[in-house]
Order: sequence, then C-alpha cells, then structure tokens
Amino acid sequence: MLVTRGLTKTFGSATALQDVDFTLEAGEVHALLGENGAGKSTLINLICGTFPPSAGTIEMDGRPLGAGTVAAARAAGIAPVFQEFSLAPDLTVLENLFLGREKRQGLFLQKRAMRREAEELLAEIGFALPLDRLVSELSRAQKQMTEIAKALRLRPRILILDEPTASLTDGEARHLFRAIGLLRGKGVGILYVSHRMSEIRALSDRVTVLRGGRHIGTVETAATSDRALIEMMVGRPVEQLFPAIRSRPAEEVLRVEGLATADGAVEGASITLRRGEIVGLAGLVGCGRSELCRAVFGLDPLAAGEIALKGETLRRPSPNAMIRRGLCYFPGDRAAEGLALARPARENAGMAALRLPALSAGGTVLKTWREGAVVAAPFEDLGLRPMAPELPAGAFSGGNQQKVMLARGLLQDFDVYLFDEPTVGIDVGAKADVYRLMKRLVEGGAGVVVSTSELPELIHLADRIYVMHAGRVVTEIAGKGTGEAEILSHYFGE
Amino acid sequence: MSFAPSQAAPSQAAPSLADRALLRRILANGGAVIALLVLTLGYTILSEPRFLSRLNLINVGRNFAFLSIPAIAQMLVMTVGGFDLSIGAVVAAGSLLTAATMGWATAAMPGAEAAAPWLSLAAVLAMGALIGLANALIVARLELSAFMVTLATGSILTGIALYLTQGIPVYGVPDGFVDRIGRGRLFGLPAVTLIALGVILLAVAVQRGTVLGRHLYAAGSDLKAARLSGVPVLPVQVAAYVAAGMLAGLTGFLMTSRIGSGQATIGGTLALETIAAAVIGGVSLRGGVARAELVAIAALFLTVIANSMNLLRIDSKFQTLALGAVLILALGFERLVLRRSA
Amino acid sequence: MTGQTASARSGAPARLPLQKILRALRMPLAILAALLVFAAFSPQVLTVGNLRNIALQASFLMIFSLAQCVVILTRGFDLSLGFTVSLVSVVSALAMAATGAVLPGLAAGLGVGLAVGLANGLLVGAVGLNPLVTTLGMGNILLALASTVSGGFPVSGLPAGFNAAFAQGTFLGLPAPIWSAALLLSLLGLVLHLTPLGRSWYILGANPRAGRAAGIRAVPVLVAAYAICSLLAAAGALLMTARTGSGEPNLGGNLTLESIAAAVVGGAKLSGGEGGISAAILGAVFITILSNGMNLVQVDGYLQQICLGLIILASLVLSRGARRR
Repeated sequence: MLVTRGLTKTFGSATALQDVDFTLEAGEVHALLGENGAGKSTLINLICGTFPPSAGTIEMDGRPLGAGTVAAARAAGIAPVFQEFSLAPDLTVLENLFLGREKRQGLFLQKRAMRREAEELLAEIGFALPLDRLVSELSRAQKQMTEIAKALRLRPRILILDEPTASLTDGEARHLFRAIGLLRGKGVGILYVSHRMSEIRALSDRVTVLRGGRHIGTVETAATSDRALIEMMVGRPVEQLFPAIRSRPAEEVLRVEGLATADGAVEGASITLRRGEIVGLAGLVGCGRSELCRAVFGLDPLAAGEIALKGETLRRPSPNAMIRRGLCYFPGDRAAEGLALARPARENAGMAALRLPALSAGGTVLKTWREGAVVAAPFEDLGLRPMAPELPAGAFSGGNQQKVMLARGLLQDFDVYLFDEPTVGIDVGAKADVYRLMKRLVEGGAGVVVSTSELPELIHLADRIYVMHAGRVVTEIAGKGTGEAEILSHYFGE
Repeated sequence: MSFAPSQAAPSQAAPSLADRALLRRILANGGAVIALLVLTLGYTILSEPRFLSRLNLINVGRNFAFLSIPAIAQMLVMTVGGFDLSIGAVVAAGSLLTAATMGWATAAMPGAEAAAPWLSLAAVLAMGALIGLANALIVARLELSAFMVTLATGSILTGIALYLTQGIPVYGVPDGFVDRIGRGRLFGLPAVTLIALGVILLAVAVQRGTVLGRHLYAAGSDLKAARLSGVPVLPVQVAAYVAAGMLAGLTGFLMTSRIGSGQATIGGTLALETIAAAVIGGVSLRGGVARAELVAIAALFLTVIANSMNLLRIDSKFQTLALGAVLILALGFERLVLRRSA
Repeated sequence: MTGQTASARSGAPARLPLQKILRALRMPLAILAALLVFAAFSPQVLTVGNLRNIALQASFLMIFSLAQCVVILTRGFDLSLGFTVSLVSVVSALAMAATGAVLPGLAAGLGVGLAVGLANGLLVGAVGLNPLVTTLGMGNILLALASTVSGGFPVSGLPAGFNAAFAQGTFLGLPAPIWSAALLLSLLGLVLHLTPLGRSWYILGANPRAGRAAGIRAVPVLVAAYAICSLLAAAGALLMTARTGSGEPNLGGNLTLESIAAAVVGGAKLSGGEGGISAAILGAVFITILSNGMNLVQVDGYLQQICLGLIILASLVLSRGARRR
C-alpha cells in the first residue's frame, strides 16, 4: 500500500536518513525498531509530510504522495499519533478530538453531533475518557489515549503509532492492543514504533530495523530472535557497548526517605545509594523516576520526606545548595533544561561552578581569562567534537551537546551524580563515551543514579535497580545480569 | 515537530488538590471578577447615592461602551497569544478619520447627510482592518514579539495622525450624528451602550458557537498542536488582529459621535486599560483562555471604579495610580491563585 | 532542532569569525551612513559643535538604553523606565530645593530608583509576573506619583552647584554627562563580563530553566537586574535634571520608547541571553544621530516619531531571533 524508494533526508550537512526502501501493506502491523537517532522519527515525519524528502519517493497505492505536506498525507489517509502531543491544553477532550475537523453547519459548530460521534468512537475502541475535562488536567496516559482516539476518528488507512504505550498502564495498553487488532482486521496498515521487545513480538507481523539513518533490514517477526533484532539495532554485540565496571559499594552517601512531591508525581519513594555503585531507576515514562531525581536535586518542591546527603539531612533542597554539598544532576531534556543553547560551550560547562576558586576569585570576580583553559580539560576527557569551546552549545550534535553538559560534572568533584535519561537522542559512539564517564566516576568512589528507559543500560550498568510505578518504588532488584523480562514484569506495579 | 521521546511532564491533580481545584474552577469561571464588581457597586451605591441618578447611570453606560468594545478587541488578540498596544492609536486615528470623512461627505454631497455616517463607518472599519492585517502579518508571519511590534506600529500610527492634523482637533462633525448616536438613546439606554452589548454578545457567540472561535482558542493554546491538527493558524491569527483593529476603529467612531470632533489624543491610556480589563477578566497572557462576558464584566468594574472616584472627587492622578495597581494585582492573582505562569 | 544541532559539525567554526565581524560592523556602518546622508543635506551636521552636541545627547540615551539592555538580557523589559526618570527628577529636585544641598537630592533620587527596581524585580523575579505588563502597570503608578509629588509643575530652586557640577562641569575638555556615561558603561561592562552576576544574566536569559538546574538562584539575579536597571535610569535622570536645572514631571515622556528603540536597534535580542554594552552604545549613537540630523534638516517632530517606530520595526524584522512572547 505504502512504498518508499531511496528515501533520503539531510539537515544542513548532516544526513538523518539515507536511501531507505520501506513498504507497508494493508492489514499489517509493521514495527519500526532503532535506537534514538537511528532515523525513526525522520522516516515517520517524512511519511506524514512534516517535511519533504531530500531525495527519493513515497508512493501510496502506486501513486506518488503530494509534495511533503501534512495536508497531502492526511488526504491520503495517513494518520500519525505524535508523541509530542498535538493537543491544545486549554480545550476539552471533546473539542480536541475534532480540532481542525469540526463538524460544522456554515460557520457554526454542531456540538451535539460531535458529542454523539465522540461517544460512539470511544465506545468502539474501549477508551474511557472524560469528554468535558480540559486536556491540561489530564494524566499523561489520558493525553496519549486522546491523541490516539483523535487519529482513529478519521478512519485512517495508515496509522502511525510512535511509542504509544510509553505511558499507558497495563489495562490501557490492553485496550490499545485490542483496538489495533480491530483496525488490522479492517485492513488498516499500522506502523508501530517501539523498542519494547515483548510488544513487538505480540503485535507485529514484520520488523524493520534502522541504524544511523540506514535501512539495516526487514524481517518476519516470528522468524527472528530478540537477540538478533537487538544486534541489528545496535550494530555490534551488546556487550561491547558497555565497559566492564569494577564497582565496589562502600558507605552510604545518599538516602531518600518517603519522598513525595507537591505535584503528586512522586508519592513516597525511598532509595539509598552507596559510594562506588550505580543504582538504576526503572519504570515507564511518567512513573516518577525523573521527577524523583528532580525533587532530590531541589528543582521541584517537596510535600513530604527527607533527603540525607553524606549524613546531612535536608528537607528543603535547592539546586544551589545541593551542588555545593556535592550532588550533581544532569537533566534528561538537554535543550529545555540542560543547556543555554545560545551561549558558548565554555559558559555552559562552567555555569554550575561560577563561584568555584578555579573560575572566580572569592565568588565576585570571574577569571574569564582562565576559563577557557579550565573547561578544556573535561572537554578533552569527554572527546568533544569539534573541540571548539567558543561555539554556541546549540551548534553541536546531540551527543556532543550531551558532553558539553556532562563536562559540568567534571569541573568539580561531586559525591553523587544523578543522570536522567543520559543517552536520549545521541549516537552509539557518544553513548559509549557516556558509559565510560560513569565507569570513571564510580571507580573514583562517587555514587551514581541512572534513571533510564533503556533496558540494556539497566542490565549492563546498574548494581541495583529500583523499579517505580505511579510515583512509588515497587521493588528493588539486582542489576547486572537480570533479564529484561524480569525487570519489565514490575513495570505495571505488581 | 520531532518524534524524540519527550520527557514526562509532571502529572496532575492528586486527590489532596481537590479543594484547590474547586477554588480554581470557581475563580476561572469569573467568581473573582463578579465578586469584585458586586463589592464595588455595593460600596459605591452606599457611599455615594448620586451614583444611582439617571444621568450618572447613563454616563456609566456610555463609558462602559468606550472601554468594553476595545477590551473585547484586546481579548481577541490575547486569545491567540498576542498583545495589541496599537489599540489606542487606532482609536485615535479612527476618530480623526470619522470626523474628516464626515466633514468631507457633508460638504461634497449636500442633502445626503444621512449617508455620511455610514460612509465614515465603512472608512473607519476598513482602516482598522488594514492596520490589524499589517500587525498580524508582521507578528504571525515573521514570528516577532507582538508586544514590540504593536508598540512600534502604534507609535507610527500616532505619528501619522499627529502629523496630518498637526495636533489640532478635526471639526465639522454634523450635529445630527452627535444627537443620534453619541447622545442618542433607544429604549432609554444610550445607543453606544446598546452597540457595545451587541459587540459583546457577538463575541460570546463567536467564542462558543463557531468554528472560528474554537480555532482562536486552539491557536492561542498551542500553536504547533493547532497547526498539526489542521487548524489554519495564520488566517485565524489574522482574523483576530483584523477584528481587533475593526473594533478599535468602531470605538473611535463612537467616541467621535460623543465628543463631536476628531481627536488625535483620545486613545492615550486605552492599551493599558484594555489589557487591565482582559487580565482582570481572566484572559491568559499566554493565550488560549478568554471569555468575552467576563472581560465585559471586568470593563464594567473598571468603569464603575473610575466613575465612583469621579463622584467622590478623587484626583484623576489617583485613578491612574489605581489602574496600575489593579493591573499588577490582577496579574499576581492570576499567577498565584490560578497558577498560570505568564 | 535536528537541523540546528547537526549544522556545525564541519564548516561552522571557520565561518563564524566572518559572520561575527559582519554582525559587529553592521551598526558602525549604519551610523556612518546616517551621518553622511544628513551631512549631504545640511553642512552643520559635521561641525565640531554639532558632533559634540551629538556626543552629549547620546551619552544620556546610552545610560537609559544600557538600563534597558540589562533587563532585556534576562528576557525582561522595563516599560516603566521613562516614568522612573520623571519621578526621580521631581523627588531629587524637591529634596535639593528643601535642603539646599546636592547630596540629599542624589540620595533621594537613587533611593527612588532602587525602590522602583526592587519592586519591579520582586514582582517579576520572585512572584513570576509577566515583565511587560507588570512594568506597564508600574509605569502608571510612577506617573501618578510623579505628578502628585510635583503637583504637575516643574520643581525649581535647585542649588547652583548641582547644575555646575553635573551639567556644566568638564574634565579634560569633555562635559560631565559624557564622563558619567563612560563610567557607568565601563562599570556595567565589568559586571557583565567579569562577575558571576553578569554571567548569570546571560545564562538565565538564554535558558532560565537550564540556569536553575545549574544552581543559579534566579530570584536574586533577576532582582539585581531590575534594581540595576532602575538605578541606571535614576542616574540618567539626575544628569538630565542637572542639565534642565529643575525637576520635571514630564522628563521621561518618550524615554521608555527611545531606550527600547536604542537597545533593540543596537542589537539586544528580545529572546534574551545576547547583547552587551555595545548594543547600548551603538543604538544610542544611531538614534541620536538620526534625531539630531532630522532636527537639522528640519523634519517635522511627528514625522520623527514615525521614523522611530519604523526603525524599531525594521530592527525587529532584521534580528528575527526575537521570538514571540
């Protein structure tokens, strides 16, 4: 039904997707597998017309699809479900379901007809959504379901789902899977992006693997092993990516007791961390692990609980106080919270250390003249490319932006490092650099917490894993050597 | 738009927040502004019986019209996440244009006085629409700060108006126009007040019942999401600014009918006053949240305050001061109680 | 984002200096061009006396646009600047007229500036209000205060020493306002480039959330920005008061718009995190040359206002980095 030939997309000098041939049949669930930055997003964005290809063609039923516009793709029956929601937060669920395609009579809205249709649709796909609630008041899972329902309302011929279960509960996910089965039966072609093996196995007919913007292969799901898929995705045996870490857990350096945040994202989580070990935080997106890190660092206000850092108890942490006491936090969203993209890399590396003797005299005069030399060392260590500290942080690639941010942790000796999603959107080489950095920190006697959605990271790096669900720690399990299935089995709260 | 896995947003609404949510809901639905209005009215009536005199009420009604119409205009622009600081300049230019066209028409077409106001109205509306179009295209197409752009266009427009008239009022407005509209009454109510009520009702109808209204909210609430959903965001933004320009022009037209001459200075503090009315009426500075009826109530509240200060012979300087203070308080209220960051 | 992130892998470092040079040269060239154009129409433009006059005029505007630049750097704005100037002028004049001494006037003027700055800074930085609307409201309050305090009339009876020292005084042949502007500009230059505070303004302006996550305490940093902005406005107001010789309740009339115009034209980015004292200097010189030239060529005052608006609009469009707020 949908065929792409030689599809290529470049951004400036960087090639995001190169020469990809891909087919999607009617009535098939086709999984798209690849690491962050492998080109999955680019491929779906091209198919749904967000931007035009640099080369190659996209055909639907043998006819070329319009010139890379959302409208053309939509007219052809392609409905994307975006992960970054296309919902207006100040409108209700009902209003959002019909946004841009309202039922109208002349200038006026046909509110009653829209409500009836919405109710029928939700009943058909089995989603329970509060039609009159504002989207801004919904949980992440409810937003995800609204987004899916909105796409399904158009009776699409091709449905694109980008990590649709990332924030759903087990029950909600089951509803979704059933809806997918229903649609497949009706001849809808479904492009399903996920890196959860269990889902891919349960749902998909075929799998296409992308790596570094290239098409690595398309295989029958039933005839391929998990291990083979992972190696296609990573490009080498998984073990080579991760350094051998000699962790030697020593005394406790961080203890979090019954922590709850004011916004309710964390509801009574307790964890401990010792020097010389890596502790993993596992769980679905939205389970509270990122928020736990933020709260410990003092970015989100606490409602209850306490934090003991090196034996000192803190009830009202603030980023400034935590940095001075030896705790370093690397935000998961580089662009939003990690870096001042318009400022030079040098300033970004130094921004948590402005009052450090190396950078300032008595905290009042910045030794601007020495700054370049001071930040050069961590940049060299991390292998920043290009080695240009005066370039704005935003001009670097994803992996190198991450290194600019991580350099912050090397300018001073911290006792505790919190990494939130440290490898999102960076290439395999940069990933290996990040893991090597963790190895160095841990072997140097610091304690490291890694909050991640990448199962291989948990399995190969962490000494212990806390699995979180709905704001609580549901279990603590051993890290290295535990199977993916074992970890995943706790993700839904059991 | 990217498909990169987005980080978890802090999830909402723990049960312990239920009380707060209820309070929020009441406040968001105009509880605060209605309470303010009732308190002010009560205090004014008790402390100054002259407030209820027929003449004063008619005066309040007229002043309400001259604030509520441009406030609705400001609200429309703020709904799509913008600002219109040129609103006062458009009102002034509208006033000059009204007087000038009317003077010209009565001189050029003797005997056709009845048509002159209609001609003026058409000219004023066209001018407002053009200025709105220019604002919208600069702001929306070039993605510039609406505040700065309209500050500049307002300054240009004021300059043009002053240059053309050299600061001298434009006379020549026929008395019949002033009698029928500016001083006119219908069913005992001032004509301008009726027109204002019509504008407010129309705005409510557009917001609640039409596709355009829905799209205005969507474009202001999240421009990217609206665009992805197929909302024609540029035409919708243009519609907001054009309608605002036309309403500002209409305000100039009506004010001229009251004063009897075209004045280049009548728009002076309108930008500030209309923003105040919008903010007090619960319009979000980020866009996407606005209700015309609440903005109208806020405009009435501001009108009553100004009127009672006049009756109590409070210096106009304190009215200026009060307006500034009320604006900041309303902002603080929005920020602290409704927890909307600007 | 992808396009932006990946763009610089190869050529960018080499290209950067050229871009930088071009960007740095844009304003000086515009200034030169403006001078030459006006000189072609009026022989008076390039006389020593007029150039000296331009320098003097520009030194006042520089102080105000510098004040504006500081808050614009943090993604802020000060729409109350002009009225701060008015209030400082009348309050300091009243203090001097009452005591007959200069020092109380300076103290009162700077005190008013500090108070206004702290109020703006706390509302914007600590409470988190929208800076545009907050300072718009604050401006109204200050306007009312200025006309109340003065009764709407100029305040006269200032000690002669005030005018002699701060307006007529010269050092090495240059008048006091020019020295004052130079001093304040260098001071702010040092703060911007050699202190954690200045660095924090840049970082918070470029990305407030990232600044917070790096342990920068936003509230004191923002309050300091608004306080320094208003203090600069107060300093400029004192100099202008010394020159006119009386406290003027309308002294600040157009200054808000002019200071913003100078800052924006000089290259301050409304999106925050970029710009420095050069924006204030170049912008102020450009605007001053323009109004000086238009006066000499006898352009109508109202036409000048139109030009100012057009110039703001043009520099907004040219910079384009300024995103909607």
